[in-house]
Amino acid sequence: MTSIPLIETRTLSKSYFNEDVETAVLFDIDLRIEQGEFVAIMGPSGSGKSTLMHILGFLDTPTSGAYLFKGKPTVDLDDDALARIRALSVSFVFQSFNLLPRTTVFENVMLPLLYHPSIPEREREERVKHAIEMVGLTDRSGHLSNQLSGGQQQRVAIARSLVTEPEVIFADEPTGNLDSASGVAVMATLQELHRLGHTIILVTHEQTTAEFAQRIIHIHDGRIHSDTRNARQKSAAQVHALK
Amino acid sequence: MQLLDTFGVALRGILSNKTRSMLTMLGIVIGVGSVVLMTSLGASVSGLILGQVSSLGANTMVIFPSTVEGGGGVPRVGFDSLTFDDVTALSQLSTVRTLSPVIFVPGEATYGSQKSQPQVIGTTENFFINQSVTAKLGRLIDAQDDQGSRAVALLGPDTAKDLFGDQNPVGLRIKIKDSSFLVIGVANSLGSQFFQNADQRIYVPYSIAKAITGQRYVNYMTFTAATDSDLALADVNAFLRQRHKIINPLNDPKKDDFVVHSSKQAADILGSVSLSLTIFLTLIAAISLVVGGIGIMNIMLVSVTERTREIGLRKAVGARGKDILLQFLIESTLLTLIGGLIGIVSGVLLALLIALIAKKFLATYVFAVSFGAIFLAIGVAGSVGLIFGIYPARRAARLHPIEALRYE
Repeated sequence: MTSIPLIETRTLSKSYFNEDVETAVLFDIDLRIEQGEFVAIMGPSGSGKSTLMHILGFLDTPTSGAYLFKGKPTVDLDDDALARIRALSVSFVFQSFNLLPRTTVFENVMLPLLYHPSIPEREREERVKHAIEMVGLTDRSGHLSNQLSGGQQQRVAIARSLVTEPEVIFADEPTGNLDSASGVAVMATLQELHRLGHTIILVTHEQTTAEFAQRIIHIHDGRIHSDTRNARQKSAAQVHALK
Repeated sequence: MQLLDTFGVALRGILSNKTRSMLTMLGIVIGVGSVVLMTSLGASVSGLILGQVSSLGANTMVIFPSTVEGGGGVPRVGFDSLTFDDVTALSQLSTVRTLSPVIFVPGEATYGSQKSQPQVIGTTENFFINQSVTAKLGRLIDAQDDQGSRAVALLGPDTAKDLFGDQNPVGLRIKIKDSSFLVIGVANSLGSQFFQNADQRIYVPYSIAKAITGQRYVNYMTFTAATDSDLALADVNAFLRQRHKIINPLNDPKKDDFVVHSSKQAADILGSVSLSLTIFLTLIAAISLVVGGIGIMNIMLVSVTERTREIGLRKAVGARGKDILLQFLIESTLLTLIGGLIGIVSGVLLALLIALIAKKFLATYVFAVSFGAIFLAIGVAGSVGLIFGIYPARRAARLHPIEALRYE
């Protein structure tokens, strides 16, 4: 198990092409992330951190280099195979929540199960209830998504990312649209999930948010600048209690 | 993803924006509704026309005098071209049966102060066979009446009502053009023939009509074909041309001074007229279906653009291109099918309403619905949704998840 990391990249690069003009975004990324880690990818906007997350999350493909997921190369996967991996193994929490409007919390959390190839229909309701309970919104499950506060909406998004029990949860600036109290509450939820064994990859430009992670990878101009264990990992629950 | 799930997602897409869905459907509703209405009206009208024609008697044929070209291409009305000798000679033909000449006697009928404006027909008993006339009261005119030139009259039911109200007229005397006639019977109702009231008639013996009018020709003749109506038609044409010294091997109707019609032929002509009218109107209605389809495509494109982020999200949580494609295709097809059903119901209801109104004026008008047209309309509506949904659905399916998620 220790010999095969969950995520491994070798000299991974990404360029965008716009009318034959090449814009390089990522250069020679070598990265290993083990099962069960809580990693923050930090960098200013334009550093390429979101692009890296999209590639690691199978939403985008690298231009060159290798990406091995659970030791298997991913270079030959077609769109359908990538969609299957997204259904089975990864999930996302976005900065702008991306909930379906005019749709209940319950149905929003149900959404990934509709596209899951193996979870049987009879297990759906139980899983959705459980995921909503995990983020503490059981009493809101019949509410429409647009009737909730920002912090609550982000917790619905976290429940949605949990419901398929994926191997990695990607959180892209999850606190970016929230006030600081709600942001800390969301980070507390993510830390709790990590404690329960989930692998979490957080993308942020805020030092204060990154400090809730175990390990911080700094990205600058498309290259890994530093990759350190976070000696000063904060407990979001404690910070929340102080506020 | 299971088909049932896709169905649920598509249905929710329709229901979450009801006003827009209704407006989108409207084109299909109108298109299908008018196709159903037009075909239904077409079926009713051709039923009506065929009813009018067959009221003449299925195998009955008619010989009319006709317009011929005189000298210098000037048309001449050949109203006097059918002579008494023609009548006698034609009745000898083996292909002709129950030949009856008709002479119109102009003038109104009176009984005391009561007046009526009937069509007075001088004819023989064969006429009653050809047109299925029976006596409701009293008796029909027979051969003895004709031979004896008796001044007797058989009244159509409407004429009887005009002159006598509810009173039994048999045995009473009426006046037609200053001559006194003994009423011997009242005919049953024939309804209308070629949209003329056949009940507003008085029948008198042929011999009497000849004497009163002093006419040397007949207005028309009716007969039935002994065997085949086409055979009888050809035979009568050839025979009359020979008698009238007309050379017309190409059957040019302009050269003949008479014309022979069979009710079958008339039914065929009227039937084909009403069929082409129905096809024409249905085609126009079908154009509105296509317009409705373009409306669907337009709205689906707007919907795809508006829901770009939703599509991105669905892809991020594992939807494949084909899941998205199917979702939007089912959505557009459901829209047109629901629209089609509403269209069918409103088309049928409208046709029923028209039938109820038309029945007040035309008793023989019958409400008819073409089930073939309904199935066709539903099929076309569904296909319209499918065909015009493909382009927007493919656009949705091909969206890149990242770009879709970032779409503002």
